Amino acid sequence: MADQAAFTDDVMEYAPQLYAAALRMTRNPADAEDVLQETLLKAYRGYHTYAEGTNLKAWLYRILTNTFINKYRRQSRRPHEVELGELEDFYLFRRLGDDGASGASRSAEDEALDRFVDADIKAAVESLPENFRIPVLLADVEGFSYKEIAKIMDVPIGTVMSRLHRGRKALQQALWQFAQDREAAGP
Amino acid sequence: MKCDETRHYLYVYLDGEATILRRWRIRRHFRQCPHCEHGYVFEERLKLRVREGCREEMPRELVERLRTLLQGHADDGM
Repeated sequence: MADQAAFTDDVMEYAPQLYAAALRMTRNPADAEDVLQETLLKAYRGYHTYAEGTNLKAWLYRILTNTFINKYRRQSRRPHEVELGELEDFYLFRRLGDDGASGASRSAEDEALDRFVDADIKAAVESLPENFRIPVLLADVEGFSYKEIAKIMDVPIGTVMSRLHRGRKALQQALWQFAQDREAAGP
Repeated sequence: MKCDETRHYLYVYLDGEATILRRWRIRRHFRQCPHCEHGYVFEERLKLRVREGCREEMPRELVERLRTLLQGHADDGM
């Protein structure tokens, strides 16, 4: 059993990361604050069930993900299991990186990515359907392993892999679209 | 390994979750196929860029509010 008194310090260390994830999930600061607060209170109440020495970060993200899903699925009439259409391999690379300069320096890939601003990236992530957005967030932003994501989301590893695959491809399309729209709108 | 197979396992490789044998086969393919290799490097950079782009500053007063809330519960002996 974990020490309840040490809880605040241990858990507040992860609060900024959890807040950023909550923002991407809920897409607005007020809801992100609500989800984070509820997550921390649930974690506090359940801290005695947390097995010390196991992955605290993954445990907290599991509570965050469940809190988000329970809170917002009830409110939303949209179907939450959305499918994505046909998705191309190397979607962005074909449009940005592969400009015929084969054998070019690797920094060409970085230059191509300079085209995107943080707002494009946030908007693209937030545009993904929830069942793809969560695995992309957990893998790309939080760096969890497939096994950890499967546990956090309570789905099989194969499901994590296919959603991640499709979610990342969809993210590239969305990113391209947001950057194009922003550039077309002018400064 | 061919291009389509490499692309199928590209994210598994990128995420460090491919088996040793598959990693070896993918690296061997990269040596023969610059297009797949550059595509992979791009995906690797993009993953880092997504992480960087999603960073957020948590408002200081929110940190304080949550800390106070949790400590309040602790003091209640809850």
